[in-house]
Amino acid sequence: MSSYSDDYTPAEMVCVSVAREIEDGDILILGSFTPLAFVSYILAKVTHAPNMMYMAYSSVDAKPFPLTFATYEAAATKGGVARWNMTECIHSLYLGTGVDVEPISSIQADGHGNINISVVGDYHKPMLRGPGGAGAPEVVKMHRKMLGYFPSHNKRTLVPKVDFITGTRWKISNQERMKAGLRPGPVKLITNLAILTKEEEARPFRLTSVHPGVTVKDVVDNTGFELDVPGDVAQTEQPTREQIRILREQVDPYGMVAFDFMPGKERPAYLKGILEKELQALGR
Amino acid sequence: MTTKERVLAQNKVAKLTDIGRLIKDGDSVAIGGAWLSSHPMALVRQLIRSGIRNLNVMTILGSVDIDMLVGAGCVDRLMFSFVSMEAYGLPPNFRRAIEKGELKYDEISGLAIIIGFEATGRGVPFLPYRGPFGSDYLNQRPDFYKKIVCPFTGEEMTAVPAIKPDVAIIHAQRADPAGNIQIEGTAGSDLELAKAARRVIVSVEEVVPTEVLRENPFKTKIPRIYVDMVIEQPFGAHPCSLVPGYVGDPWHMMTYMDMAAKPDTFKSYLDQYVMRSEDEYLEAAGGLKQMNLLKKLAREVKSL
Repeated sequence: MSSYSDDYTPAEMVCVSVAREIEDGDILILGSFTPLAFVSYILAKVTHAPNMMYMAYSSVDAKPFPLTFATYEAAATKGGVARWNMTECIHSLYLGTGVDVEPISSIQADGHGNINISVVGDYHKPMLRGPGGAGAPEVVKMHRKMLGYFPSHNKRTLVPKVDFITGTRWKISNQERMKAGLRPGPVKLITNLAILTKEEEARPFRLTSVHPGVTVKDVVDNTGFELDVPGDVAQTEQPTREQIRILREQVDPYGMVAFDFMPGKERPAYLKGILEKELQALGR
Repeated sequence: MTTKERVLAQNKVAKLTDIGRLIKDGDSVAIGGAWLSSHPMALVRQLIRSGIRNLNVMTILGSVDIDMLVGAGCVDRLMFSFVSMEAYGLPPNFRRAIEKGELKYDEISGLAIIIGFEATGRGVPFLPYRGPFGSDYLNQRPDFYKKIVCPFTGEEMTAVPAIKPDVAIIHAQRADPAGNIQIEGTAGSDLELAKAARRVIVSVEEVVPTEVLRENPFKTKIPRIYVDMVIEQPFGAHPCSLVPGYVGDPWHMMTYMDMAAKPDTFKSYLDQYVMRSEDEYLEAAGGLKQMNLLKKLAREVKSL
């Protein structure tokens, strides 16, 4: 029997792919609540990266915890070895030692290594006002690896040029990065269809792999910027049975990983369902 | 108060309705907390109740605090790096106000705002850092981000100006009457806000004798030299979290999102929840039963 699973959702495929980008010994940050990214961290921590350290809210080096909706912050806080407020965190990790990975999802991303979480349309009269960047400029530029994840790979999200550069990789090739005093590392975008990688200023994103069941044409047709498509495109490594089992039984018992993939209108009902289950578990 | 007056004042305890002594129309007000955590929501509701106008509000990572103040018409100008209701969606009043062109705003990256507060706390007019090179923040706000050359290495850096709010409002776990503040869980840059602001108001879950703070001195994060007023207000962060004491209230957040979706239903939200006393607010939000549930959820969390 293959160790790979055939029973996984598109969200679990992305989640496992993000987890695989996390190496043992990495430093990560849990910031704004992004369920899929949180599940990826915890999955990595309880599988291949047990020594990884993450900063969750003000909790330093938190123990792994099952992701819930009502209590994730309390769980992260309870399991920490120290407390850092936000200023200490940015001094120590963003500006100091350096974070390895902090997966980020944005309204738009483009072929130059830029992301936009600020506005769609004109900056002063936007069609859509987004939340804004928080630490995004540093997350995208300074972290060792820039990792974007996108539940919906389409031309509205992956655009020729973002409407506002909230964060930019700025220097892309390892050589240019080191010259600018930055750590070398790639830009990777993990979507519901494929994995794209950019490692050179002058070259487009390379189509690194397509997920099982997805064709190269699907990816090219749904990408708003030019892609470097090799003659023989690999298939993304499927989740293993063990990863899916740990995901569903331990790390994500309530199915939070599906949340990012859901249309906005369906989200409140889904969250209410999860809260019901959390209350039932509390009674036990 | 001057620092000396702050040190001399042994009893800074006041009532929620006293905050008008320290915050006036047109003031710049920095709001503590971050994400959906530890925001001074009782103080925010009191500002709305008081009918205050034309505030220049400053937040690093804001959420329901900012959305409510904007929707209630208290804000003339907003400095922010991030305003989000996270899993609940985009903040409806914030979004509506900006998309209609009704709110003046300064979008500054998060680190730059924190460093701007730090500059004031250190008594310098600016601080340098490796700025957001290549981003559009620099193009939108050339008056805020300035190019500077390191006099030692010749390296190009970004300077950001000292940010000096008139008032900071903060919510925390515990204080003594003299204004020593303990913070146990998720903390934004509340200490930097307190150091930067001319006047500092802190609401806390409980006011305790100084001897109680001495039992756990490492939890005291803001000493009394930075604090002007202390207000005891249990569940003063609700519907935000104040871990490890209580989790945020997801049921109330969803009610808020439903009602803030349109201006007329948001007005009903203000009437039903905000435009009454803080005790009546907590009762309307589910009373002791609901508050105890939020405490229990925080207490009984598990690790893997």
